[in-house]
Amino acid sequence: MARVVETVPVAAAPQALPFERARRSASLRFLRTQPLGTAGALLVAALVATALLADVLATHDPVRTSTHVLAAPGGDFWLGTDNLGRDLYSRVIHGSRISLVVGIASTLLGAVLGGLIGLVAGYAGGKTDLLSQRLMDIMQALPILVLALVLAASLGPSLTNAIIAISIPIIPRAARLIRASVLAIRELAYVEAARALGVRHARVALRHILPNTMGPFIVLITAQLGGSILIEATLSFLGFGVPEPYPSWGRMLSIAAAEYAEKAPWLVIWPGLAISLAVFGTNLLGDALRDTLDPRLRGR
Amino acid sequence: MRGYVAKRLLIALVTLVGMSMVIFVLMRLAPGNIVDIIFESAGYVDQADKKQLEHELGVDRPIPVQYARWMGELVSGDLGKSYRYDMRAWVIIKPRLPVTIELAVLALFFSILLGVPAGVVSAARQNKPIDYVLRVLSLAGLSMPSFWLAMIVILLFVRAVGWIPSITYVSPFVDLKANLWQFMVPALAVGYRSSALIMRITRSAMLEVMREDYIRTAQAKGQRPTSVVWRHALKNAGLPVITLIGIEFAFLIGGLVVTETVFNLPGVARYLVEAIQFRDYPVVQNLTMFIAVVVVLANLTVDLLYAWVDPRIKYGNA
Amino acid sequence: MPLRRSVRLAPVVVLLVLAISLPVPAQTPKYGGVLQIHPLVAPPSLSPHEESTIATVQPASACYSNLVYFDPAKKVESPDTVIPELAERWSWQDTYRNLVFLLRKDVKWHDGKPFTSQDVKYTFDAVRGAPDAAAKLRINPRKLWYDNIEHIEAPDPYTVVFRLKRPQPSLLLLLASGYAPIYPAHVPLAELKTRCVGTGPYKLKDYRPGEFTEFARNPDYFVKGRPYLDGVKWVIIKDRSTQIAALQAGQLDVGGSGWNRANAEAAKKGKPELVVVESDSNVNDNVLVNFQKPPLTDPRVRRAVNLALDRKAYLVGPRLGAATFGGAMQPKPTGIWGLPPAEVTKLPGMGDPARQKAEARKLLAEAGFGPSNPMKLTVSTRALAIYVDTASWMVDQLRQVGIEAVLEQIETGVWHPKMTRLDFQVALNLTGTAVDDPDAMLFENYRCGSQRNFSGYCSEEIDRLMVEQSQVLDRAKRVALVNEIDRKLQAEGARPILGWGKQYAVYWPRVKAFPQHENSIFNTSRFQDVWLDK
Repeated sequence: MARVVETVPVAAAPQALPFERARRSASLRFLRTQPLGTAGALLVAALVATALLADVLATHDPVRTSTHVLAAPGGDFWLGTDNLGRDLYSRVIHGSRISLVVGIASTLLGAVLGGLIGLVAGYAGGKTDLLSQRLMDIMQALPILVLALVLAASLGPSLTNAIIAISIPIIPRAARLIRASVLAIRELAYVEAARALGVRHARVALRHILPNTMGPFIVLITAQLGGSILIEATLSFLGFGVPEPYPSWGRMLSIAAAEYAEKAPWLVIWPGLAISLAVFGTNLLGDALRDTLDPRLRGR
Repeated sequence: MRGYVAKRLLIALVTLVGMSMVIFVLMRLAPGNIVDIIFESAGYVDQADKKQLEHELGVDRPIPVQYARWMGELVSGDLGKSYRYDMRAWVIIKPRLPVTIELAVLALFFSILLGVPAGVVSAARQNKPIDYVLRVLSLAGLSMPSFWLAMIVILLFVRAVGWIPSITYVSPFVDLKANLWQFMVPALAVGYRSSALIMRITRSAMLEVMREDYIRTAQAKGQRPTSVVWRHALKNAGLPVITLIGIEFAFLIGGLVVTETVFNLPGVARYLVEAIQFRDYPVVQNLTMFIAVVVVLANLTVDLLYAWVDPRIKYGNA
Repeated sequence: MPLRRSVRLAPVVVLLVLAISLPVPAQTPKYGGVLQIHPLVAPPSLSPHEESTIATVQPASACYSNLVYFDPAKKVESPDTVIPELAERWSWQDTYRNLVFLLRKDVKWHDGKPFTSQDVKYTFDAVRGAPDAAAKLRINPRKLWYDNIEHIEAPDPYTVVFRLKRPQPSLLLLLASGYAPIYPAHVPLAELKTRCVGTGPYKLKDYRPGEFTEFARNPDYFVKGRPYLDGVKWVIIKDRSTQIAALQAGQLDVGGSGWNRANAEAAKKGKPELVVVESDSNVNDNVLVNFQKPPLTDPRVRRAVNLALDRKAYLVGPRLGAATFGGAMQPKPTGIWGLPPAEVTKLPGMGDPARQKAEARKLLAEAGFGPSNPMKLTVSTRALAIYVDTASWMVDQLRQVGIEAVLEQIETGVWHPKMTRLDFQVALNLTGTAVDDPDAMLFENYRCGSQRNFSGYCSEEIDRLMVEQSQVLDRAKRVALVNEIDRKLQAEGARPILGWGKQYAVYWPRVKAFPQHENSIFNTSRFQDVWLDK
């Protein structure tokens, strides 16, 4: 199953330039060669800023109902109101918090756990590797959404459970990626030298191998972040995500949106647009980072 | 070749068994006793019924026995009982299967129809404007939540063409035109998103292949770009694409869950969501396993197809 | 001698008078067509006696018959609109202590077996939980309805006698509701959940859980010449906007079940020829307050919660302007048992919102809650749009008085058992009672130990008064007594009522004689007189 010819970045350059040294010039080069990626980075930055500054940016309390029901955009309510008279703009702004928190937390959780598994499997090799590979195969065989749904339903709707549920499908992807990196680096001369000198396994793993998987790791996180945000939105849409009164983009689209779509199309447009832009931004950024860090494409 | 097939079969089997264990454990993560849950969600009140339920569900036996019993039932094709509706699960699932299958097949068809040519064009005109446009379009497709896309599509189609989501399923054997009219829009909605993945993979596979020396040789020999692209590159890029379709399948099924819900299609995926909502846990367990089997079988088929097509495996000893 | 002018004109005048006073001949009903309609929500089963939701009554009504029923054509249900079905005639004896039914002799069950008085005895012995009943219901939400029945006799195959412990004139109304169909004694109860064997105008054709329930005409229906329709198909459409679109496209003949005013207006806007009927309903939005769970054991807290909910804002927001206010019984004029309007305006939550919220804060402070120690409350509700919206509104109202409220959505299948087990703090609930009669409404929802008394509210005095009013024969006296009960219930906040919503039926003009009652949504789904002008 792992025969896909996918451009998976492998930090295989023997010289292994430390990632940090080339950062400044790399940023400028990034801007020049990856216009799409820069746009993505800006979108992501906007998302983070919105989430952090939600209280400042919002014009109303996102949960406060009013008698201005289904009001059109304009005046007090920049994007209109929903069927309970709640300001849509403020709800969309605050919704970014849920998406970002759940997205980042679940991606990090999954990536770190998966990365550790991949590190151990790749480094140890042999039976451990085989076993973990099969385990990862199994986890990857179920559709992400089905897995997250079953978990969310099993554990119950809450913020913590949503994060756990979404992080699980990420683990096998992270494990596979890190394992591939590790396999390549493990064979390098200076690693063997370190072992020959008697450096302990753990130290080798942590000090020599891990830093060089940072590149692909970062790419993985940005790539998966978009997916996590989407899954959270879908879970909320189906009723299994974060419960009221926290405004969640996915849930905003489930209850009132379709019902009042003819009368108040803004209820359908804005939350969906918010999700799309957030995910679009992370995907663009992820793509660009991957292109940048993959040495095989570097020579173009 | 034979060795390869045997190895793949074994892996598929191991994966299935492993997945069954994972699903078994997942379902027991739910807080509370599964008997209590069923007891409540099916509306029982009498405590005497609880004993009956315990016996039916087999929770009075040790866990390995429960697992073995479940495996035995699955292997014999028994998908258990829906406690919510008080019917055999198979009776409810059976009429829903053709709906999901048709939607999946049509969606796959559209995703290939849209994705492969887009990927090829994008690779052939790498970094030209058309490449950027296609990449942005496909990425947009992957970024939009499927249910939002579905909602927008419904809104547009209802306004523009007077199309509405089906309210009951019409079999293609009964009325093909009506059936296609119902399925076209949802299949396109799912297909568009899947096509984005296919487009990306086709593009990168094509780029890989086009860098190969023999392509550059052909170009140097003066062969026109179009025939080079289509004849040599596509044939060899085809293999990874076929493989992807297998992996794709899992992604597709995820998309079906939402699509069936929004487009009101009475399929198996939507029933899974309903069963979860009703806490009909035995059905959830079996249906999830069912989906897992389908996915593994699809991957296995693709693997075998790959073996048959790739000469390195067919004749060598991979 | 020529006739005087007046005499010559007389025949003309007579003819004119006749022409004006004669009823315009109604259109002759046509036979044929299958009525496409959507239910409020997917039915969990086809057995009305074992369910607590209209979702089952709606489709199942087509298939069953009652002893007596409410006339579909009369909009306001009352003892005067009760019509015979399986019973040809009935008679009260011993000042409403014994109810005798004389049954039709020509009725067959859908499987061909003959209907007799044994079926009636079997059904109601099971439903009232008689010790010697032949069958036992797995779940029995309306057991208390029949608490007063001492004994049921079937002296011959076509006579049934209900012997009561005390007089109860309202029993007849209870038996006329959609929740009181007659079950066949020869079919096991468990089978009736997925199969319908009844004596009604339609036979079950196909039951696909979660998809649709389809019925076809019963050619052996005991009312000759009925039904007009070839069949009825209840199609489940979860999404409201799809329901509206399907109706507008003509794929549905009738819509409106569970709709609000905005939905009805949207439907009509797209297709102005649609007929929209708005009427009162016997369904109210109310708040279940768990009397047995802290901090709600404190009456100050309970009253604070009640005061915090601004009823006028409820009308504008969740109800979009379509609701009326009242107490525990449906408000006047369509509900004869309602509190006088002057009293209704003084109920908690009806007054000036600012003042009521301030009072609520004061009560909470007295109970020990405040900004430094906010009260945490979970508001539970069913995971349906109509519930969730109102519950979200409620969460906001509570937050405005300093309560940290969170919403919990519960799936329908799990809802009733959870409520019955009192596994919640407060809940936003819709209560629809099948009959607008205190014997149904009060007994079901407020009596100690009733399965549907979701608050755990129990008052011996109220129970006593309930039983007392059930026996009063004089209408005016009875209304006064019921009002007294209602007043007490409101004062104690037994189940704060937010409002009584309106209900909608929206259908194409080709649908004729579609019934809609002002004081119940449960007793109009038999469709024995509906016809399609196609």
